[in-house]
Amino acid sequence: MKLLAATTRYYVPLMAGLFALTSGLLLLRLNWALRHEADEQLYNEQLYVQQLVAREQRLPPTLFAYQLSRSSSPRPTGFSDTLLLDPVEQELVPHRQLTFRLLPVAAGQPAEWITLRKSLVETHDLLRVVLGVMLGALVVLVFGVIGLNRWLARRLWGPFQHTLARLRAYDLHLHQPLDLPAPAIAEFAELNQALNQLSERLVADYENLREFTENAAHETQTPLAIMQAKMEQLLQAPSLTEDEATMTLLGELLQATQRLSRLHQALTLLSRLENHQFAPAQLMPVSLDQVLRDRVAVLEPLLEARALHLNVDIAPDLPTRAMHPGLADSLVHNLLQNAIKHNYPGGHIAVALGPTAFEVSNTGPAIEGEPTRFFERFRKHNAASDSPGLGLSIVQHICAFYGFRVRYDYDANPVRHTLRVEFNQRSGGVGAPALEQAASHRQ
Amino acid sequence: MKLLLVEDEAALRKTVVDALCQNGYVVEVAVSFAQAYEKIKLYRYDCVLVDLTLPDGDGLDLVRALKADCSPAGVLVLTARNGLDDRIKGLDLGADDYLVKPFHLSELNARLRAIIRRRQFQGQHHIVFRDLLVWPELNEVLVRGQPLALTRKEYDLLLYLLANPGRVLTKEAIAEHLCGDQVDAADSLDFIYTHLKNLRKKLQERGADNYIRTLYGVGYKLSAE
Repeated sequence: MKLLAATTRYYVPLMAGLFALTSGLLLLRLNWALRHEADEQLYNEQLYVQQLVAREQRLPPTLFAYQLSRSSSPRPTGFSDTLLLDPVEQELVPHRQLTFRLLPVAAGQPAEWITLRKSLVETHDLLRVVLGVMLGALVVLVFGVIGLNRWLARRLWGPFQHTLARLRAYDLHLHQPLDLPAPAIAEFAELNQALNQLSERLVADYENLREFTENAAHETQTPLAIMQAKMEQLLQAPSLTEDEATMTLLGELLQATQRLSRLHQALTLLSRLENHQFAPAQLMPVSLDQVLRDRVAVLEPLLEARALHLNVDIAPDLPTRAMHPGLADSLVHNLLQNAIKHNYPGGHIAVALGPTAFEVSNTGPAIEGEPTRFFERFRKHNAASDSPGLGLSIVQHICAFYGFRVRYDYDANPVRHTLRVEFNQRSGGVGAPALEQAASHRQ
Repeated sequence: MKLLLVEDEAALRKTVVDALCQNGYVVEVAVSFAQAYEKIKLYRYDCVLVDLTLPDGDGLDLVRALKADCSPAGVLVLTARNGLDDRIKGLDLGADDYLVKPFHLSELNARLRAIIRRRQFQGQHHIVFRDLLVWPELNEVLVRGQPLALTRKEYDLLLYLLANPGRVLTKEAIAEHLCGDQVDAADSLDFIYTHLKNLRKKLQERGADNYIRTLYGVGYKLSAE
């Protein structure tokens, strides 16, 4: 529910309640005032009648008979309410009446009871009008409040909506703080200021992390190189030729070092992709068909060793793509290597390169689990495998970098794993606009 | 053969120098950009091995300087950076080859051989090893004067072994040499075994001595004795 709807939901019933209460009070008070007024008028008339009688004057005739009635029989004195039939409208009309005993002027004369009456029908009409006006005002007020809120929502909440839109579009990879404006409303200005500070801290932290990763990557490469070179030199020691156990140990040590170095290279590549550290300037027209042919040639012995049947289908006259050549090579290589790795001896691999997509499908053992998770890091089909399980993660990152779409499909019968990279799906990603930019540079 | 190794990392420098000396090269070292710049201006080398990240300068500038002087020296770029960009830049500048750290010393030997062969002998070079004669430019292998037919990979493998006589070559180093350094060595060991087996068989059929030694669990060695 919108904040405004929520406040209105409380606001309107409260307003209606208060309005009803005050209307009721007003009604009571008005009623009381009007009756009081009638009573006062009746009392004044009583005094007037008494004066007239005291001066032995005749009472003036009244226009309507009901306004004054005399009786010689005793009546209860004081104010009371009564209903009288209105002869014109033929309906009962409420009246206020005052009855008093008129003292005889001369002795011997009988006492008289006089009743003075006043119609309350005007009072009732007045009350009805007042009530009607009040209700009308209530309706106008409620709609007015709702309308005002709607208008305010657009006007006052504008800066908030703006902030929200900027936050949604925010991309930490651009290394730019949010830099939101300071609107006139104090709360929103405060919010924007806090968000600006937050984004500045984020950018700084991110920058630190990036630098650290980069430095760590660079600094570990050197000791690894030293380790590997020293061990290789150690392997050449003449004394080792007699000592098979030590040599095997050393060989294993060397293998572990190489694994570490390979892992390190893959992780560095991933972090560089994630941090968009491949400048658009390095883009050049890459013909993927050539990259594919080169890679297939390099991997040929691997295919032979596993008796894999490779079927390559390259569409003619493929356009070049603006890519980093190293990344293009890495993409093709990882897809092919994946197809070789997760295959049976004597299995099949089909590679198809078209103008819109690159597809690698292979036979292989069925894989359990969520297909989207295959792209996760260190995801291995076989836990005992020596490979770090970063290949598909690298594929996914390269595709994301260039705005390509990568999809995994699985056919159960016969078992067929298909990885399909669709080009030109430039949905988001910083790589995509950079790509277009580079393309326009060349024109 | 006189080489200049430009490398600021002392520990790595020493090991590389040792390995190169074992292979019969004369190696001079430069530990900084300034020192290297002075040496390439003053002396002539057959090949210069340049580390790109030096404390006082960019190794690529050394490559530029060599090319500007029209130096006949071969240039092998060694890079510790995640190679993708530097490889291209280095090769664009005219470097003959590149190696990404960490590299196999045996791979370094093989690359150096190839560079020097290309630069200096212009097809006139042959390799003699015991009863083996190889003309690399002609892709010809003779065993005791008899031509030997090898597949491309077997031939590459033989050249690699010949570039490192007497050295222990790990299976991983051989795999990377034959399939490129992106190949996961763990996946490619079985094909090395196949190729070596075939190469040996072919050599023996021609009556060559068995000079390819297997070091169980580690790798292979071309035995000079």
